[in-house]
Amino acid sequence: MKVISIEPLTRVEGHGRVDLHVQDGRLQRVQLALLEAPRLFEGLVRGRSFVEIPALVCRICSICSAVHRIAAATAIENALQLTIPPLAVKVRELLLLGGHIESHALHLFCLIYPDLRAAESILILLAKGDTSLKSGLELKRLGNRIQEVAGGRAIHPINIEVGGIVASPQPPALHALLAEIETMQGQLEGMLDPFKKGLYPPAAPVIAPRLTVAISGEFSLQGNTLSLPDGRILPADAYAGLLKERSLPWSNAKTPATEIFFTGALARQEAHHKQQGRDYAPGVAGIHANNVAQADEIIWALERSRTLIHDILAMTGAEVGSMPVTTGVAGSGTSVIEAPRGILIHHYVLDDRGQIAAADIVTPTAINQRAIEAQLLADLQETPEGELDAAAQRIVRAFDPCISCAVHILKV
Amino acid sequence: MTTKLRIAYQRFTSCGGCQLTLLNCERELPLVEKFFDIAEFPILCSNNDSDCFLDVALAEGSISSVEDLQRLLALRRRARFLLAVGACALSGGVNALAHDRELLLADIDGAETLRVETFPAQPIANFVQVDGEIPGCPPEGSDYLRFLGVLQQGGLPGEYAVPVCMECRLRENRCLLIDGKLPCLGPVTRGGCLARCPSYGAICEGCRGAVPEANFAEHFQLLLQTGLTATEVRGRLERFMGRNDEGY
Repeated sequence: MKVISIEPLTRVEGHGRVDLHVQDGRLQRVQLALLEAPRLFEGLVRGRSFVEIPALVCRICSICSAVHRIAAATAIENALQLTIPPLAVKVRELLLLGGHIESHALHLFCLIYPDLRAAESILILLAKGDTSLKSGLELKRLGNRIQEVAGGRAIHPINIEVGGIVASPQPPALHALLAEIETMQGQLEGMLDPFKKGLYPPAAPVIAPRLTVAISGEFSLQGNTLSLPDGRILPADAYAGLLKERSLPWSNAKTPATEIFFTGALARQEAHHKQQGRDYAPGVAGIHANNVAQADEIIWALERSRTLIHDILAMTGAEVGSMPVTTGVAGSGTSVIEAPRGILIHHYVLDDRGQIAAADIVTPTAINQRAIEAQLLADLQETPEGELDAAAQRIVRAFDPCISCAVHILKV
Repeated sequence: MTTKLRIAYQRFTSCGGCQLTLLNCERELPLVEKFFDIAEFPILCSNNDSDCFLDVALAEGSISSVEDLQRLLALRRRARFLLAVGACALSGGVNALAHDRELLLADIDGAETLRVETFPAQPIANFVQVDGEIPGCPPEGSDYLRFLGVLQQGGLPGEYAVPVCMECRLRENRCLLIDGKLPCLGPVTRGGCLARCPSYGAICEGCRGAVPEANFAEHFQLLLQTGLTATEVRGRLERFMGRNDEGY
């Protein structure tokens, strides 16, 4: 058996390696190793006050820092049986949407786009003055602008604390943002087309069954339940029994032991359309449809952001942003939320002094780990050996993995 | 025209927020490309040269594994200047909060399967000479642009020794510590962020590290007056100041 190792994976977030096991000219086995050094977040929060947790755990990942921070605050609020005020709900959703826009635009234009232009990086394209890239970077910038207005900072936003938000975005900032979003919406035509063409070689359909946050009524990124491939809906706190995460000998990230799941933009778009009674037809084969779904989600997120800003501006200005938080009763809480690259789960146990007794964090890339391996195995069967490196990297990239997030190994 | 400075960006144990801050300078990226030859930047490029001589190496993250350390030493040998970027590189950052590491690692599901040899997260300066610092968790985009601009002109920026508190005053913000009775770390924190967080209404959490001559003993007492317990105050000062004491 020959092993072809691809390391480091480039144009993805974090350190990773793919091992392709080839025997008699045939790909037999694929292992994805997520190699970040473990930072032991679930351990380092133990014994600390719940107040500190959102600010600490958002440092798990930069691209997903807003969603980690909201997930942590929500899980702790669930443990304390606290309902946050409507203003905070809207500002948090706006922040989430900004995060999705930035993350998707970063992924599509900075990491994927060079593949479509046969370039090794955007640097070459920047030097050439590629106009499509330039507009993509403006889209990415707008995602950051939304995060700055709603969260106070684009990376590790400061506006989210347990109980709600720290400050309501100022109306002049919201008006300015609204104008920027509307200008961008006017320029969207054709901007995302490069990702909607089937430039990639034919690939197997996305293999793994879909796992999403279940949505009721209006589509959103947050909920209290998980939607399973077989149609079942499970409460958030059933995640541990569903996924039964375990460690893998070749990776520093745990993964579901029960079955393979796929989570991410494509799974969300399919669920979104199913609810509207329509099929989702990305028009691109295989896992690369995930990138079409990201592009479609950017368009949706811009419009949804506009609605939310109008909603926030329509409030009187007298609304409170946060609820007083009291402790004294031990409890546990779970939150499930859609990060840009799929389902993120935070779970905390609090003691009666409001200190963290236990924490568990399940990230989308940890969930997708086995799905990526399965996809590589299926998609690369006919690929000549000389093309394996580039093809494998393209497939991994299409999943939009975030390896910094994924590396969690503590037993909980 | 002078030749472009050749630079490399490498990440060690971190969240990736410092490199993302550089990528978030969307409108300035073409300028960075114009004035610098980026030889290595794995999140951005597929063609990375990991052996070439470098004018400047940017190193993000703390050092927490043998692999990290080997890579850092190799990077240092290649570079004329090495910049430590971000809180993790400067103090260990939040990664250094994982105390009782042996105990925690014993808790791993199948600890025998962890493939990397790890140790408590440490700042880069514990191992190699650092020629310049970009602070913050994350840094400000302007931190990068200022630094790169000075480098391009052939120099290194001087130390910035103004506390966040001073910048907050210049922006005429209401004081969160004195008026708001909130545990703001502005007085002991190195500025340069133009008091970003207090200006938004949120307390400074000290992400840019300690300002020279910070009065920790006095600040510890001020923080106690906001209603925090001594343990909680120590927890907050520990996050980015790398200290777990009462300031004496």
